[in-house]
Amino acid sequence: MTQFRSGREVSVAGVGLHPFGRFRDKDLAGLALPPVTEALNDAGVAWKDIPVAYFGHVYYHGMSVGETALGKLGLTGIPIINVENACSSGSTAFWQAYWGIATGIFDLALAFGAEKVPSGPVTVTAEDSPERYIGADHMMAGYALRMRRYMEDHGATATALAQVSVKARQNASLNPYAHRKETVSLEEVLNSRLIADPLTLYQCCPTSEGAAAAVLCASDALDRYAIDRQRTVKIAAAVLRSGNYNGRGSDHSAFSPYRTEPAALEAYEMSGLGPEDIDLAQVHDAATIGELQQIESLHLVPFGQAWEATQEGRTALTGDIPVNTDGGLLAMGHPFGASGIRMIHETVTQLRGEAGPRQVAGAKVGLAQCSGAGDVTTVHIFTK
Amino acid sequence: MLSSVDPTRLKLTNDEGTRGVLVGTRCQDCQVCVFGPAVFCQACTSSSLEPVELSQRGSLYSYTIVRVPPSGWPGPVPYFLGQVELPEGPQVLAEIIGCREADLKIGMEVELALQPVILASGNGAETTKAVYKWKPVMSTDAIQEASP
Ligand SMILES: [Zn+2]
Repeated sequence: MTQFRSGREVSVAGVGLHPFGRFRDKDLAGLALPPVTEALNDAGVAWKDIPVAYFGHVYYHGMSVGETALGKLGLTGIPIINVENACSSGSTAFWQAYWGIATGIFDLALAFGAEKVPSGPVTVTAEDSPERYIGADHMMAGYALRMRRYMEDHGATATALAQVSVKARQNASLNPYAHRKETVSLEEVLNSRLIADPLTLYQCCPTSEGAAAAVLCASDALDRYAIDRQRTVKIAAAVLRSGNYNGRGSDHSAFSPYRTEPAALEAYEMSGLGPEDIDLAQVHDAATIGELQQIESLHLVPFGQAWEATQEGRTALTGDIPVNTDGGLLAMGHPFGASGIRMIHETVTQLRGEAGPRQVAGAKVGLAQCSGAGDVTTVHIFTK
Repeated sequence: MLSSVDPTRLKLTNDEGTRGVLVGTRCQDCQVCVFGPAVFCQACTSSSLEPVELSQRGSLYSYTIVRVPPSGWPGPVPYFLGQVELPEGPQVLAEIIGCREADLKIGMEVELALQPVILASGNGAETTKAVYKWKPVMSTDAIQEASP
């Protein structure tokens, strides 16, 4: 396990979010900029005071898009770093912003992410890879393999899996930023088109576009920038990990939940908190099975029991461990560069008590976990 | 004469490209075996590695029926995708052929099968490669029934 020296305490001072969906008339920089200005206004921080910025995105839309987007706010000459780390690109940008401040180099930092995504199944390898001919490079097929094995190992029912999507849509119906705001029934989820058995269409996240941003500030510098302490949220842990050998080979299907556990343990150690302290969690639910395995790997429920916890309503807004309170990837969609910061946006909004009809009562500690292909995991813990 | 879809992972053992063996790498320090080539051990970082020929048979760890294929998929749709655990340790993903949906079962024994696959390259030219797949180990009767 990584040994960290304790750094300066860092807070989230402001957040911003672009609605998730399809925005054919906007380019990547055009998507990315509105949440940045929103986050700056939310924090009450002027653009000219930001000393460093990190931009998460995956698909290629020209070089140095971060500079192109932020340049419209004025050319202040600050370092701007473009970050590609698969589905965790946004949360990796946030992690870098955190460490830039925690190590004492900067007082403030901006993390933002955006994505424009092509349609169709998501692949991991390059186009001329033999994996394409072998048929193994298929993100949702990887989830389907895990899902069938999980159902076999733990007796999980198709209905329990489908309930993850029903719950996601219920939460999303209370979230004006969501891509899919219509509620769905168990029958509609189970009877939707098969993508890769047993995964149906409504159990896979849609391909969506969107953007999110956060302004971070050293807690000891909040007064210097006249930031309202009533609305800041403390970052108790910021962890980014790549894969350890998992004993199962190097295929894409083996990624993700096995990586989450070590990242979670590190985040719990760093924060001095445990899974029992977490009031709500945003986790990587690119498919229904993803949410179940992530909350098990985070130790929020025992291994093999997340499907029952879901059926019992424990992960709903009114449950004891609400998960993906804004609709998650299943209803928000998954713009790779934005998703990780979108989760942080939701966590901060909940801990501020500003989540309106989807507010989790008394939320004081929130966790955001984001996975990426090629073995990336981020876990962040926030406290109010 | 066919060539292997990926010579680093599938070594052909006849000129027709109908027989072959999957290649793995075993660490001489920690004994962990992975599918395909490696320069350093994935588990312990050692560079004392040796190539190994992997077993022809394994057990089906999980499977799915892919209804929406990834771009570049040259075969029929839907297709069965199997995650197969080999006795040496590695799991190998590949298409499952020569069986019906009702025959698929976690834990069933499968064996390596090579198939010629026509691949279209970007400039419109076509090449045929031997691609590794899995097929169930079943009685002769069952195989005949399964053939369309
Ligand atoms: Zn080794």
